[in-house]
Amino acid sequence: MRLEPILAGLCTGLLLSTASLADELPQRWISAGGAATEWIVELGGQDRLVGVDTTSQHPETVTALPSVGYQRQLSAEGVLTLAPDLLLGTEEMGPPPVLIQLEKAGVRIERLSASSELNALEDNLLRLGALLGEPERAQLALEDFHRQLNDLQRQIKLASKTDQPPGVLLLLGVGGNSPLVAGRNTMADWLLRQAGARNLAEHEGYKNLAAEAMLALDADWLVLTDRQLRGVEGQQALMAQNPSLAASRAVREGHLLSIDPTLLVGGLGPGLPDALRQLSHAFYPRLQEHRAEASQ
Amino acid sequence: MNPVLNWRVLYPLLAALLLLAVWLSLALGPVSLPLADTLRALLNITGLNLTEVQAQTELIVSQIRLPRTLLGLMVGAVLALTGVAMQGLFRNPLADPGLIGVSSGAALGASLVIVGLSRWITLPVVLEPYVLSAAAFAGGLLVTALVYRLGRRDGQTQVATMLLAGIALTALSGAIIGLFTYLADDSTLRALTFWNLGSLNGASYSRLWPLLVVALGVVYWLPRRADALNAMLLGESEARHLGFDVERVKRELILCTALGVGAAVAAAGMIGFVGLVVPHLMRLLVGPDHRLLLPASALAGGALLLLADLAARLIVAPAEMPIGIVTALIGAPFFIYLLIRSRG
Repeated sequence: MRLEPILAGLCTGLLLSTASLADELPQRWISAGGAATEWIVELGGQDRLVGVDTTSQHPETVTALPSVGYQRQLSAEGVLTLAPDLLLGTEEMGPPPVLIQLEKAGVRIERLSASSELNALEDNLLRLGALLGEPERAQLALEDFHRQLNDLQRQIKLASKTDQPPGVLLLLGVGGNSPLVAGRNTMADWLLRQAGARNLAEHEGYKNLAAEAMLALDADWLVLTDRQLRGVEGQQALMAQNPSLAASRAVREGHLLSIDPTLLVGGLGPGLPDALRQLSHAFYPRLQEHRAEASQ
Repeated sequence: MNPVLNWRVLYPLLAALLLLAVWLSLALGPVSLPLADTLRALLNITGLNLTEVQAQTELIVSQIRLPRTLLGLMVGAVLALTGVAMQGLFRNPLADPGLIGVSSGAALGASLVIVGLSRWITLPVVLEPYVLSAAAFAGGLLVTALVYRLGRRDGQTQVATMLLAGIALTALSGAIIGLFTYLADDSTLRALTFWNLGSLNGASYSRLWPLLVVALGVVYWLPRRADALNAMLLGESEARHLGFDVERVKRELILCTALGVGAAVAAAGMIGFVGLVVPHLMRLLVGPDHRLLLPASALAGGALLLLADLAARLIVAPAEMPIGIVTALIGAPFFIYLLIRSRG
């Protein structure tokens, strides 16, 4: 009979301790990073977001939130109007004096890594999970992400035994006659390699390439960003304006792909495996056949 | 050009406008604070802790809005004053402080640091803004010194040659900035663009001091050269006959402008049109006499920059617009209006 009050006490104690734990977790979040925002939503933290920056475009629902501007040009007072507990961004977030002012105002500031490395993603996700109070969910998401990428790598490895890895160029802008082409040490380069392609551009970073030089590289595939390729009409208009692009072998063969430009900034997001699958299935038409083989 | 307004009327008006701008800049912002709280927070800064104010309110008023207001005041006053000095020196109402290369030199210094920091050097993040400011300041001084050197012949400063040298060096700086832009990666490119649009965002006391010293110097010293500038309006030889050491005046005006604009640009980035439009507007109101024009421009420059900054803070809140966009959006159409009116 004397057990009951003890049990009751224990139960209330447990309840109180979990309640206080939840209190300590930041409740009002501002996310200043595209990939971070996507992961927050993916991990079920959407209702904690009270504001996002201009690089947060996905999923569509977050664009309705108040915008705090560009991640490098945050305004101290503007951020404070949203009364956040936490400002989450990447190391690109700034300017530094504003972050110092915000810290003084009691806003917790967390910087995730914007690098396109799997280690960085692991660190980011585990930290997000802890901040959200959802460590298991973050762990699962991470494992799922790794598994998807590994599966794809195995399939590509099998496919590339029979098919040559295609030579690809990724164009950011095609305005005028010298498109902006993604070279080494870019997120775009990493994406292409993950999708099993060879990036034909050998310069560092994003550089304008003369139309002739681009034609000389004779890419098997051209990858453009979504914004450039809005529907068939948009594509035709683009080709009409850029005869050198239209003359390339890739375009003549209809080997034109598009990716979402937000994939290229702010680190690895949850939409990445899907995008990679789309690219690699285009690069290796017989990838589908290797799917069953690879998963065995 | 006859003055539209007597200075006895204009000065109190300008002083009132300036006070109003300062008050609005302190009282308004994305976070709406009750007026009484703003007043209390301001009183508390004086050290007389008469009343209790929420820590948040105190922080917003004393750590965010006040340094920003002081920065805006100084940058506005310095840009307007040096604008008058340059228009007087070149005897051309279209002259602005950028003409002697100080702005493009500062931009060159800044882009060197912005791009260099991402590629060649790594510094603690906290130090970056200071290094950026120092480089912009040094770049402005260096290019101005070159322009001045190129404009000298046989111990004489040829204003026309200096003007051309300024244009040439501005073009050269532009080319080098273009080269840095080419080397920059995506994120440094954005940083570069935003720096070129100017901002009073993130002002803090520790970064105000260098500008304060320079601004006080400019505000004290330039109005004392009003007589010399008046004499220069008649022509250089006339000024010499009136007993002014013209070479010395020119040297001092250029040094003053280089220091002032260099410090202003270093603290707040490039803010266009203030140095061009404010002196112009004031000349319409008080006439060409520099004794009246200089103080009027200082007051109006500070007030206008604060109002522009207020707009920059409020239009897209909680985000913020670069102030250079606001000043150019207001300044350019106004300038066109002046052109049309003076023709008719």
